[in-house]
Amino acid sequence: MITVPRPGGRSGRADGAGPAAHTRKRSRVRAFGLRTRLLAAFLLVAAVSAGTTSALTYREARNALLKTAQDMAVSTFRDEVERTGWRLPVEEEGIEEILRDLARTGKPRPWVVFAEYGSVRASSGENPVSSVITPELRRAATADRYGSFQRVVKDGVPYLTIGMPTVFRTGPDSVLPSGLVLYAVMRLTDEQVNVDALLVAARNGALPGLAVALVPALLAARSVLRPVRELRRAARSMGSGRLDTRIPVRGRDELADLADTFNESAGHLERSVGELRDAEARARRFASDVSHELRTPLAGMLAVTEVLDEDADRLDPDTAQAVRLISAETGKLAVLVEDLMEISRFDARAAELNTDEIDVAETIRKTLQARHWADDDRIRTELPPGIRARLDPRRFDVVIANLVGNALRHGGAPVTVRLRTEASSSGTLALVVEVADHGPGIPAAALPHIFDRFYKADAARTRSRGSGLGLAITLENVILHGGTIRAGNLPGGGAVFTVGIPLRAEEAGR
Amino acid sequence: MRRTCRHGVARRRASWRDLAAAVVAAVGIPLMGGCGIPDSDVVEAGGPATVEAFLNRDADMLLFFRSSDGGLSPVIREVRPSAGFGDDYIEPGAADRGPSGPAGPAPTEKVVLALLSGPGEADRAAGLTTALPAVREKGTVTVEVSSDGGVTARLPLAVQGLDATAVRQLTCTIAYNQTEDGRGVVTLRGQDGAQRSGSCGLAPGASG
Repeated sequence: MITVPRPGGRSGRADGAGPAAHTRKRSRVRAFGLRTRLLAAFLLVAAVSAGTTSALTYREARNALLKTAQDMAVSTFRDEVERTGWRLPVEEEGIEEILRDLARTGKPRPWVVFAEYGSVRASSGENPVSSVITPELRRAATADRYGSFQRVVKDGVPYLTIGMPTVFRTGPDSVLPSGLVLYAVMRLTDEQVNVDALLVAARNGALPGLAVALVPALLAARSVLRPVRELRRAARSMGSGRLDTRIPVRGRDELADLADTFNESAGHLERSVGELRDAEARARRFASDVSHELRTPLAGMLAVTEVLDEDADRLDPDTAQAVRLISAETGKLAVLVEDLMEISRFDARAAELNTDEIDVAETIRKTLQARHWADDDRIRTELPPGIRARLDPRRFDVVIANLVGNALRHGGAPVTVRLRTEASSSGTLALVVEVADHGPGIPAAALPHIFDRFYKADAARTRSRGSGLGLAITLENVILHGGTIRAGNLPGGGAVFTVGIPLRAEEAGR
Repeated sequence: MRRTCRHGVARRRASWRDLAAAVVAAVGIPLMGGCGIPDSDVVEAGGPATVEAFLNRDADMLLFFRSSDGGLSPVIREVRPSAGFGDDYIEPGAADRGPSGPAGPAPTEKVVLALLSGPGEADRAAGLTTALPAVREKGTVTVEVSSDGGVTARLPLAVQGLDATAVRQLTCTIAYNQTEDGRGVVTLRGQDGAQRSGSCGLAPGASG
């Protein structure tokens, strides 16, 4: 079965499926849209720069802070140690007093002092041996004999440990290691607090930076998105036929160039389409004019041929045959001109629906009677009464007559005219008229073109009684009613034309 | 068509994830890694501290014993004029100088004998030991100073079997007794005729 598509441009509902597709596409675009990407990029740059700056600043400040504390502690410890005096060998008794004196002098804050000499271990605190001092520091102090320090974090508490080996003078210029090593252990709690404050400050500085970065990001996104949005709106408006759509060009950036190009292309398109339309209109007007011009002489000719037909019997047989031929061809010419004018009216969109509430079965019956087909035994009808619809009686008559005439002419008898109502897929009730014949059917190759103008399904029969416009006019009439027409073949042979017209035609029509 | 679309979206999503990871890495690691006060290596901060050890070269002698960590520890002992060797030395601090007044620098022979007699009570309390063998009979020690500053000591014990610490104990004790800075080569000559020479080298740095 072939569904004849509605001619494009005629109805604004051709893009009926459009909005849903648009929103789907749009939502996907939005998730990774320009705005999102620009915001992300700006935030990324801001985060990286703010983060790096804060991190570096924080690190430098912290290191400076620690360096100050460490240097002060080490130099103070050395000064204080150098003020002490020891007898060698160092004796355990009395040593703690010296160590406690040392412990009080701690700068920037008190420390615990440990002494190691031979097997002597003593401290100013409770434990004679510190658990914080690392073997590395001990090695540096005992083996390498350098004053050295190390920061140790134990259980989350940072400590500064200082190892200070001692020497004594054996002469004005010579010293000798005494074997006594003093250690100081200082908690870096205040430094920890300061460092934490630095960290908080760095973080607090970075976060507003990120927030501030959002402003230029949004501005940049806006400056890009607004032209894009305008472009999209303009493209859509052009797609729906408003070819005079133009975009305001702002600035001199790439988007302005794009807008410029769009406007230029739109201008070209508008001009081309205008020219095409003009040409088409001219052609239509020409066909219409030709038909009109032919009508008057044809009317005269028809009157003359009628007279000639009446008098033909009195003429000699050869002349009579010629006269009858002229008469028949003139009649066909008149039909053709009428059909051409009808088509011209459709093309010019001058065709109007004059609807009326009618009984469909009754109308079909009248059509058949008017064509003297009512009592024809080649035609069978299945016309259930009571189906009423708002239709243009004249156009509906043309539709039925064309289909039945076409079936009688090209198909085989019997021709069945069937009327019924049917719920369409969209849920509205439609009246359906089927005209089926028992002929050979329509060749598959001809099906797509069966409603084309002057299309002949059977190439051999170039001279039929039809104008070649009958089905085209039928199609236009059905479309005017807001309906559809399909052509197809029955499984048992024979062609079938199915006309579907919504029952509430006054709503579906224009 | 749709498949490629979805593929594209998936890839884009993946790249976004990469980007997010990069951001976290770029911002997070410097912040997280440097939070608070970190551990540090051992940092050298100048030389050792010079303390007062109350060394009086005129009245004290400097003996070297073995520390618990294997190194040498100097010990200061006051010399009593009558001091021979054994335990009859004067404890440091219990400075009761003899009636004859300051005795002047102790002769090296006497100092070596004091060293050979081993660590005293206070030294042992501090964990100091000696690597030298105990000398039972009273031997004699003779010390000669050559013209170039080198010192040769004849010792009442066998030098051959002494370990490095013992040799250094003797060398340092003799060297620091001879000079303030303990430099100079000391040659030890034992009863066994063996001969070992060396210098003390305890002073920190080259110049001390």
